[in-house]
Amino acid sequence: MKASRIEDPVIAESPLAIHGLTVSYGQKPVIYSVDFVIPPGSLSAIVGPNGAGKSTLLKAALGIKRRLSGEVLVYGEPYAKQSHHVAYVPQRSSVDWDFPATVLDVVVMGLFRDLRWWQLTRRRHRDKAMECLSRVGMESFAKRQIGQLSGGQQQRVFLARALAQSADLTILDEPFAGVDAATEKAIVEVLKALKQQGKTLLCVHHDLSTVRDYFDHVLLLNVRRIAAGPVDDMFTEATLQETYGGRLSPLQIERIVAPSSATQEA
Amino acid sequence: MDVWLRALTFSAGYNTSLVTLGAMLLGASAGMIGSFILLRKRSLVSDAISHATLPGLMLAFIVMAALFDNGRWLPGLMIGAGLSAAFGLWGVQNISERTRLGEDAAIGAVLSTLFGLGVVLITAIQAMNTGGQAGLTDYLVGSTAGMLSGEAQLIGVCALVLLIAIFMLRRQFLLVCFDAEYATTNGIPVQRIDTLMLMLLLAVTVIGLKVTGLILIVALTIIPPVTGRFWTDRPLQMVAIAAICGVLAGYLGVTLSSVRTGLPTGPLIVLSTFALFALSLLISPRRGIIAMLVAHYRFKTRVHLRQGLLAMARREAIYDTLTLRVLRRHDFIRRDHVPTPAGLAAARDAEHEEQLWSLYRSLYPDEAAHLDHLGLEPISDCLPPDMMMLLELRLHSPLRSAS
Repeated sequence: MKASRIEDPVIAESPLAIHGLTVSYGQKPVIYSVDFVIPPGSLSAIVGPNGAGKSTLLKAALGIKRRLSGEVLVYGEPYAKQSHHVAYVPQRSSVDWDFPATVLDVVVMGLFRDLRWWQLTRRRHRDKAMECLSRVGMESFAKRQIGQLSGGQQQRVFLARALAQSADLTILDEPFAGVDAATEKAIVEVLKALKQQGKTLLCVHHDLSTVRDYFDHVLLLNVRRIAAGPVDDMFTEATLQETYGGRLSPLQIERIVAPSSATQEA
Repeated sequence: MDVWLRALTFSAGYNTSLVTLGAMLLGASAGMIGSFILLRKRSLVSDAISHATLPGLMLAFIVMAALFDNGRWLPGLMIGAGLSAAFGLWGVQNISERTRLGEDAAIGAVLSTLFGLGVVLITAIQAMNTGGQAGLTDYLVGSTAGMLSGEAQLIGVCALVLLIAIFMLRRQFLLVCFDAEYATTNGIPVQRIDTLMLMLLLAVTVIGLKVTGLILIVALTIIPPVTGRFWTDRPLQMVAIAAICGVLAGYLGVTLSSVRTGLPTGPLIVLSTFALFALSLLISPRRGIIAMLVAHYRFKTRVHLRQGLLAMARREAIYDTLTLRVLRRHDFIRRDHVPTPAGLAAARDAEHEEQLWSLYRSLYPDEAAHLDHLGLEPISDCLPPDMMMLLELRLHSPLRSAS
């Protein structure tokens, strides 16, 4: 049965195919038997209420959290073998920003994988890191100590570090949480540019009003998978109400589901 | 003084030079592994390890005394110490993983129990009918005076091997210290790297037994990294500076202890590291006390300058004497407190900066709070160019921003 799934061309070409993924804390499932296949070259969002297990799903897929059952395939092979295809942008709160490191140091970390122990970080590594920094508009901050950055700047640095990995799939955990509008715009532009290059992106996303503008695929998650597929088909009043347990008001729904032209920047 | 000078210049005999070199290598590896342990926020673990060596050390002595009639064979003692430290570490790990106790509580429990056991064993050894008990106290406070050249070579070679191992693992260590979850996604086996880090720390502790003594090795793994932190904001530089501090401390400690017989090496090494620490605390250009006082004074004058310029821009009278002095120093006002042309230009600039900052603050209150300063830095140094464009546009077309 396992073999047949991998021979399935959709799974074999998918940068991330999750099957029957369950994670629990103690006996309480945080996510339960989730199936999700990301099409290559897509820009996907995972959407759901607080405590729906969005970040846990990412972390379990990335091997950070131990899973109770299920499998995670990257281009048809187990994730553990394929992790070099995947870059991860964690939540800003996951690190101690007083760590003695400059912005450039953090971005260079994205290149560690390619460096053997006897190699020193050379000019070409720093140049690569600087190029990634300039793609997020942070090149003038390279020598800044990371503790001096604002939230949006921290997020940009993490994105630059992921860019340095030149991965085929980039997974971002709430990249727009607590960032300023300019940063949000800059990040969206980088993500869309990556998509243009044929890269695949997956974000945990909390702002329902921008799902239609930013993403083409969506997974609606609330412990279980509620719906998954193209935004146009799956991001509807019915699925949203099911995901949020009927907690969204009709007015909210109208604003969220309405075509993107109607939404405006605040 | 003369003795010390000869020791300092490595001309006090082959043995002393060898011991000095060994201590320097030990200092370097302790400083390096200690830096990573500090960045991983586990400095207390080194305390647990060092205390946990005591019972193993004593048991090894008893066994060797019973079997070979000589309990003071250094490699044997090191193995015993290493085994009991590993046992202690295992205990700490298990208690903190399987119970609700935190790592600190587990460390306290294991450390005191094993050390207590060790002290009981010392008492038992002193009642034993065998030679060499007297030398055992050397392992508590360190003594290099009577060290054999074979022992010094062993310490030196082991320290060198550790140094190379730490160098090889530096990037993995760094990634795990900064962000263990991200390290996992980079294919780094975080648990194994953590274990390796602790094993290297354990090895340093065991090798240092005879040099600094089992308790004081902690100082060599904690103080040099903290000293390094004073001098740099970059991770691997901090590790390198900690290594240099360790080398210096080992060098100074051993040579000082050779000045007079009976001077314990361990405490002298520790005092040397502390001297380096105190010096850094005082004169480090960025975080030192003197630098902080200077920076505070500079900051204060900048606040006064900005306030003065803004008052000028609003054509308010200025009474504060420091403000007047600062403005006068910049030639922004004349002796009779009338603004100069340069002063008026600077006042306009200051007002523009202030407007940009207040616009930024009103648009992005959270972000601005995070930047936490008073808006004294030129705003273009603090914000990316795209944000600056946005602010300037809004400032010059207030109507558009209202829509």
